[in-house]
Amino acid sequence: MAHNPQREDYQRLSLRFARELDQGDPVAATRAFASFGRRFAQDRDSLPQTDADRAFHLVVLAADVVDYRLPFATDEQAPGLIQRGKDLLDEAISLDPACHDAIRMRSSSKTPSIDARYRFLADRAEEVRASCEQARDEAVSELEGERRALAASIAMRPYWRWMASLAEEALICGRNRVAAEAAEKLLASDPRDCSDVRFTLAYALAKLEDEEGLADLERRYAEISPLRGADDPWILLSHVALAHKRCDFAGARAWLERLVGLYPGAVGALVRQTELPDGEFARLRVSPYSEDELILAVSEGIVLLQEGNDRAGRGVLGTWVAHEAARMDPAAAREAAGPSRPDSEGVQRP
Amino acid sequence: MNAWDELVERCAIRRRRKIGPLSDEAYQELLLAVRADPESFVDTTMERAVLLMARALDAYRASCRDDDLLDDDAYEAERTRRISALHAECVRAREIDESSLDANLMQLLTSEFDPDPLLEGLIGLERDFASDEPPEGDAWDDVFYRPHLRLRAAVARTCLDGARYRMAQSAAASVMDACPTDPLGARHTYALACARLEDERELNAVDARFSRRESAWSHLARTLLLYKLDRMGASTRALRGFDRLCAGGAYALLRPTFVEAYFPDRPDAPACSFEESVLAVREAEPIIADVPDFIPWCQGQEWLVESARRFAESRDLGW
Repeated sequence: MAHNPQREDYQRLSLRFARELDQGDPVAATRAFASFGRRFAQDRDSLPQTDADRAFHLVVLAADVVDYRLPFATDEQAPGLIQRGKDLLDEAISLDPACHDAIRMRSSSKTPSIDARYRFLADRAEEVRASCEQARDEAVSELEGERRALAASIAMRPYWRWMASLAEEALICGRNRVAAEAAEKLLASDPRDCSDVRFTLAYALAKLEDEEGLADLERRYAEISPLRGADDPWILLSHVALAHKRCDFAGARAWLERLVGLYPGAVGALVRQTELPDGEFARLRVSPYSEDELILAVSEGIVLLQEGNDRAGRGVLGTWVAHEAARMDPAAAREAAGPSRPDSEGVQRP
Repeated sequence: MNAWDELVERCAIRRRRKIGPLSDEAYQELLLAVRADPESFVDTTMERAVLLMARALDAYRASCRDDDLLDDDAYEAERTRRISALHAECVRAREIDESSLDANLMQLLTSEFDPDPLLEGLIGLERDFASDEPPEGDAWDDVFYRPHLRLRAAVARTCLDGARYRMAQSAAASVMDACPTDPLGARHTYALACARLEDERELNAVDARFSRRESAWSHLARTLLLYKLDRMGASTRALRGFDRLCAGGAYALLRPTFVEAYFPDRPDAPACSFEESVLAVREAEPIIADVPDFIPWCQGQEWLVESARRFAESRDLGW
């Protein structure tokens, strides 16, 4: 599913617009709504909106700058983009001091270490939950049906993204149980897992070598993610790791083959094992079953790959995975290991 | 491993078998006689292999003594030379007695493999020597079975080094089950695996099983576990315990030094001594590396840094 900032911006304003129209003449309302799309795109200021809506729009702009443009920027462009992102987020916070997305995104450059970032997110999680729940209760009070559900979801999403960031940060900090707990809390609040936090959960369980927990998570996919089974690269890589950790090399190879079979370009990504910065707004939006999705999963999977005392410094699993992937497709592996262009790895927006 | 003691015991036991039942006193006499001149009692190929290993280990340990005087390149060259020499002796011991599990184990350990190929070799050895039945009672009391226990303890440590923490736990547990007094210190490997798996229940259980006998590992494992569980007050207290109760613990943690691989098992060190702190930090290294802000957090504790500095000064160590 994944968070889509532009779409969410549209949903926020259309919901507000529809609510205002409800109070007037239905015929005029239909006519007015027909113009919404054009006004959203070209004359946003003419639409009814609160400071919170305006702040969120700045968050959307910041997400575009930081998550989708910065990774492809040259060294000369980067400082400008980083500053632009900060300015947009600071402006969002000044418009809406309860803009949790902006506060969360801003914290990644304000905190001096990953542990400090983790602490920032962990210490405020409950406060953010209470704030979002209050916003939700206010937003849904006069709504019914689909609109009610949408308003509730929009109000809660900043909390969901907060918890998804917290889970990921905890995982990076080596706090795997905390990561799993944060993920479970998020799943309890959003059982359809708009944030795909189950991917982070799968890695936390693999780190804890919790075979039962991972099997249980797979069973829960039917509810959490009815449209997509447990064949995302996160769960597959978790299986590779668990089989490898119990020295079941045939099993690990079989899982790896499945991964390589499902994802185009997998061998290259598995040989390179590039670590990319995490999306600040949310995990970057990529197409299911794309090479980009695998690249993201491998990047987040560095916590699994780079563990242990091997002399190459790639980690015991990382070395094994690169070696096995290369055996499956030597030509692709040679190409991946060759001199890389700076723009050759990264994630494109679908 | 005290290869001489084991050689003496092996020779004495073979003698006793040959000359028939001996009273306890007579056997003690025999032991004394063998100990006085073990080489003259060496007879079988098995004993010749053990003798060779005992001498090789002596030579190896003696060659480690003057390392402090060498610069980096000279140290590296000297290190390579002495490990090759030890390796060559282990190969010779194995040629004398193919059935010597110690010689097989030492040959592997001195090959300087990465954790994965080393583990593969160790597990292969376990398979090849699987027909030896474990003795009744405390397996450590049977000198002929000790190589199996050393091998299993090496499996546990190699699993820990290769990020296989459940396997490390189960291998260490099987050593503790076979020899409840745990002379090989498998409980230390177990405790570190518990810390990495954030398994507080098991860490408490192994602590209780050994009557909360403290060690540098138990303090360090507790600190890491609590840090990972984000119980920072408790983790700070555990770190304080590690600092106060383990000599030079703070220094070992903040200034980790190279520790040679174990040939074939962990060197003896007094409980909670500086030597033990150094070993514990080395064994915990992959776990510490997996918690990227743990060391920066330790460095942020002024009392810890101060304690490490004081220790460095008291021992004329660099700071």
